[in-house]
Amino acid sequence: MKLIKKILLAILIVLVAIQFIQPGKNNSNEILPTDISKQFSIPESVQAVLKTSCYDCHSNNTRYPWYSFIQPGAWWMASHIKNGKADLNFSEFGSYSTHKQQSKLKSIANTINDGSMPLSAYTIIHNTAKLSKENKALVIDWATKMKDSLSQKIKL
Amino acid sequence: MKNIIIGIAVFATTLSACNNSSDKSNEAKNKNSDSVITSSKTNQEPTKVTTSVKDIIDGYLQMKNALVNDNGSDAANAGKTIMTAVDKMDTSSLSDQQKKSFADVADDIKENAQHCSVNGNKIEHQREHFEMLTQDMYDLVKSAGAGQTLYYDHCPMYNNGKGANWISEIKEIKNPYLGKKMLTCGSVKEALK
Repeated sequence: MKLIKKILLAILIVLVAIQFIQPGKNNSNEILPTDISKQFSIPESVQAVLKTSCYDCHSNNTRYPWYSFIQPGAWWMASHIKNGKADLNFSEFGSYSTHKQQSKLKSIANTINDGSMPLSAYTIIHNTAKLSKENKALVIDWATKMKDSLSQKIKL
Repeated sequence: MKNIIIGIAVFATTLSACNNSSDKSNEAKNKNSDSVITSSKTNQEPTKVTTSVKDIIDGYLQMKNALVNDNGSDAANAGKTIMTAVDKMDTSSLSDQQKKSFADVADDIKENAQHCSVNGNKIEHQREHFEMLTQDMYDLVKSAGAGQTLYYDHCPMYNNGKGANWISEIKEIKNPYLGKKMLTCGSVKEALK
C-alpha cells in the first residue's frame, strides 16, 4: 500500500512538473509572401474550409484551444503540427516548385477523397473541422482545377 | 511536503529553461528567394546527359517494374535509390535551361520518391505518388534527355477512368498501375529519345 502511494505521488509530481514545460507555439501572426492566398486567388468558401479544417496543422498559425496547454497533450499536438507542416504548409506554398505545388494539390484531393485527411484523431476533438460532403467536394474540385491550371502553366 | 514542492519547482524551472524551441517562420522567406544555381563552368555540350540523370531514370524504371509486379517493398527500395540519385546529381554539365527545369522537378521527385520509400506496405499509395513522379520524370526527360529510347505509355482505366501515364524502357505494355489484374492494358503515346 505504501508503495502504491509512493508511485502515485511520483506520477503526480511528474504530471505537475511537465505542465511547466510548454512547447513553442506555432503562431507567427503574419502572412508570409509565400502564403497560398498571396500567390493564388482562392474562392472565399474554399479558404474558409481550409482555415477551419487544415490550417491548424498545415500553416504557421494554429488556433490553440484551452486544453492544448495541458501536458502531455501539448507535446502531442506540437508533433502533429510539425509533421503536418513538413508535408504541406499553406503558409509556404508559394515557395514550392510548380511541380511540387501540383503534387500537393493532387494529394489534397486524394487524401480528402479517401478520408485520410483531416486526421480522425484531430476531428474527434475538433468537431467543427470535420468536412461535410459538400465541403469535401468543394475543396476537391478547387484543388483539381487549380492543379490543371498549373499544368497548363508548365506547358506554356 | 515542503521538500516535494520545492523539488517540483526546481525540476520544472530546469526543464522549461531547456525548452526554447520557437518556430522560425522566417525560414520560408529565405527559401522563397529564387533558388539561383551558380555554376562557373560553361557548357560545351548542353545536351549531354550526366550519369546522374540516368541514375534517376534507372531508379524510376526500377520502381515501375516493382509496381508492375505488385511488389511494394521493391518499389520502396527504388524510392530510396531515386532520392540518392537526386541528391548526388551533378548539374554542371547541364545548360542553364536544363538546370532550371531540374531545379523545378528535383524537390518533387524527392518527395514523391520519399513517400514511396516509406509506404512499402501500401502499394496503392505508392501508385498515387508514382503517377506524380511520372509527370516529373517526363518533364525531366523532355528537358535533359533520356540517353536511351523510352516509351511514354497511357493507362486509360486508372483513377476511375481518369487515366494515368507512365514511362517504360520497353515497347511492350506492362501496366504498373493495375498490376497483374490488367497487365497489358494501355498504349504507347510517345517515344522519348
